Amino acid sequence: MKGIEFFRNVSIGQYWPGSSYVHRLTPATKYLWLVALMVAGIAATSYTAALLPLAVALAIGATAKIRPGFLLRGIKPLIPLLALTALLQALFSWPGDSSAVLVALGPFAFTAREARLVLMTFARTLSLMTVVGLFTSVTSEGETVHGIEDVLAPFAKLGLHPQRLALAVGIALRFVPIIAGELESIAKAQASRGADFGSGRGGPIAKARAYLPLFVPVTVRALERAELLAEAMEARGYTEEGRTRLVSYPRQRGEGFVRLAAVAACAASFAASYAIHHFALL
Amino acid sequence: MPFIEFERVSFTYPESPRPALNAVSLTIDKGEYVAVVGANGSGKSSLLRLLNGLRLPGSGELRIAGLATSDEVGRMAARAAVGLVFQSPSDQIVSSSVEEDVAFGPENLGLPRQEIAARVERALTAVGLWGERRRASHFLSEGQQQRLAVAGVLALDVHCVAFDEATAMLDPEARLKVLDLMDGLVAAGTAVVHVTHDMSEASRASRVVVLDRGAVVFDGSPDALFSASRDDGSAPAIHALGLPDCVALAVALGLDPRCGESAAAIAARIVARRGTGTATGAAVQPVAAPGTASIDPVFELKGASHSYLRGTVNETESLRAVDLRVGRAEVVAFVGRTGSGKSTALQLLDGLVAPSSGAVLAFGSDLGSPRADLRSVRMRAPLAIQRPESALFERYSGDDVAFGPRNIGLAGKDLVERVRSSMEETGLGYAEFRDRRTRSLSGGEKRRLALAGVLAMGGDALLLDEPTSGLDPATKRSILALVVGRSMQGTTVVMATHSMEEAAKADQVAVFADGGIVAIGDPRTIFYDRFDPSWGLRRPFACEVAIEFEARGISLRQRPLGLDGLVAALAETP
Repeated sequence: MKGIEFFRNVSIGQYWPGSSYVHRLTPATKYLWLVALMVAGIAATSYTAALLPLAVALAIGATAKIRPGFLLRGIKPLIPLLALTALLQALFSWPGDSSAVLVALGPFAFTAREARLVLMTFARTLSLMTVVGLFTSVTSEGETVHGIEDVLAPFAKLGLHPQRLALAVGIALRFVPIIAGELESIAKAQASRGADFGSGRGGPIAKARAYLPLFVPVTVRALERAELLAEAMEARGYTEEGRTRLVSYPRQRGEGFVRLAAVAACAASFAASYAIHHFALL
Repeated sequence: MPFIEFERVSFTYPESPRPALNAVSLTIDKGEYVAVVGANGSGKSSLLRLLNGLRLPGSGELRIAGLATSDEVGRMAARAAVGLVFQSPSDQIVSSSVEEDVAFGPENLGLPRQEIAARVERALTAVGLWGERRRASHFLSEGQQQRLAVAGVLALDVHCVAFDEATAMLDPEARLKVLDLMDGLVAAGTAVVHVTHDMSEASRASRVVVLDRGAVVFDGSPDALFSASRDDGSAPAIHALGLPDCVALAVALGLDPRCGESAAAIAARIVARRGTGTATGAAVQPVAAPGTASIDPVFELKGASHSYLRGTVNETESLRAVDLRVGRAEVVAFVGRTGSGKSTALQLLDGLVAPSSGAVLAFGSDLGSPRADLRSVRMRAPLAIQRPESALFERYSGDDVAFGPRNIGLAGKDLVERVRSSMEETGLGYAEFRDRRTRSLSGGEKRRLALAGVLAMGGDALLLDEPTSGLDPATKRSILALVVGRSMQGTTVVMATHSMEEAAKADQVAVFADGGIVAIGDPRTIFYDRFDPSWGLRRPFACEVAIEFEARGISLRQRPLGLDGLVAALAETP
């Protein structure tokens, strides 16, 4: 028997509350490290360089008491996608690929170059997902939102509205569980009046089709809920000009060095990639 | 100068043919406690939205503290002076943490950080949530969320808080907390405007305004209102409101009605009038529990448990090893705090959620077996989910009701007939409502339409999740009569409710607490023998009065559950 439950499938990172040094860093610093490690992972040209951000993320996670398993789990939903890229690499060959053929099946061949590309994609993705996992596990929803405001604050002079943007992101995050809840409610309302959901019957296409009638009512409900929220915000005098903020994030001791370290780590990874490329050190 | 002044204010929603408010003249002074009552769709919510400048009068003038809301300055002043608390707690939360949500208003005022922090502390302390300030706002219970909404407007330092049916979705305990909060506000000099359907709640105010189709038809003290509503010559809108229990009982016994009288006080008056000497009733006769559940249960839960978000860090067990048997044509009421597992249990019964352990049987088939035909079980026992807004999905009302019967295979004349009869059963005229857009219906109409859609399934059982919450008293009575009528015809009914008066009409009452059934039995057993204050429930008013008699050494021959029963029992007792 299968019930109807959508919440379980909604996860964009999970905050793991704590009071470690990493947890206490300002959101701006956390964003800086997020970007630095992601850039390092993307720019990497060797396995070692691609997996380095992963190692750093796990090490930082350890000091914040975040289990490695919890961070590595982020890759799971992407495995089908990675399998697909591997398949595409195998099906289509690169022009001028003269590397050794590892496996051949009829007209299809899997070469060493393709194997390397597949492995690099996997290493990079694993690194990136772990880094993102680390960020979400030490950054609460409020910090994620206010962090955007703080990071973008210098750009306010260029006509950007960091506060407005942060509020939009915050509301978007708040709406993820709301939409999932509405989806669940409407599916249950339809199922209890004879629509075929969660009864475990039919093939995958039939199951997918059963969800089509949900889209219009869920969209309408989402807009209604948005309108209610807008009304509640307006009732409390929402204004874009001259808003102040309750929360502030005091810098921790040595936070300046932590920020510098992020920039240094990023630069070092670029330098390393460059060196490997030009001097074939590895 | 009155604080709030409506001068012949009319207001019509853009897409509506008739005005929501029609030439309303009304004044509210600083520190007043005013209840606003009236049938669903009578214009109560519109009145509140005008108060705060969310909506502007179409004609006439509304002045808050002397400033008309029609211009920008007056509108911003109205926002700062009048705070609104809406019906649905979760729709008012702006921020992810409790303290930041309260800070939202002061942040809009552009106050300095220390001032915001001070106001947040004051507001959260006033509503009793200071200890929860760092928690995620969506993890609060509904009652806490509603108090959070109150804190959010208090932080604006408003002179008036207007509540729009803010207690309708709460359990008895949380409801009482919000009502006490209102008393506290009034005592501190803040005006309170409370829109409600509950006459006992309305009688807590010092003044009641009755709206009927957008017009004020009564404005006076609760005592004056309830003496007017007993008069058969009064306006139907006033008559339909009904009476608070204590007034109804006093009237039935020929006593002088007193608004807001407690069970103890009225019991004392009754005893005083009868004289203590004659009060030596016979012993209470226990009433045998109905034996319906013994043969072939329609539904059965055997050690059924359920966890939401299974396999994630947020996994929460919502039901823990629950056993339950529901016999044919029985009416079973689920009562208990919000979050105690009532809704989950209802959804288990027709396989909308799967048990994580234990077994669920419906109509003799084990829903856990891979061969179980869940679709036909659901069609035999349709569920009306809690929020009607999320239960309606078709564009037009008639189509929405037709959704279920179509799935059963009805078509043509049979389908039309089924849709017509179910709509009329819930009081929605087929000709009038068939082509109305579901989204344009009022809250009460939506609830009735959702119920019509479930009734139209013609199932053997009905599962109803708080079917009468948010309905006006007249509609509430008619829905309840309908449910009882269906069970007389052999339909099994399982319903979750926060109204103990409704639960007392059931054959069996199951009390939920922390995901388990802590007591189950017929209403007399539950409300007299096994009642436990830790459940967070209250007894029906008639029970409270009867227990006051027992405390005074007077036993009634019958233990009453409703006011009629109490009056009859009093007449029989020498």
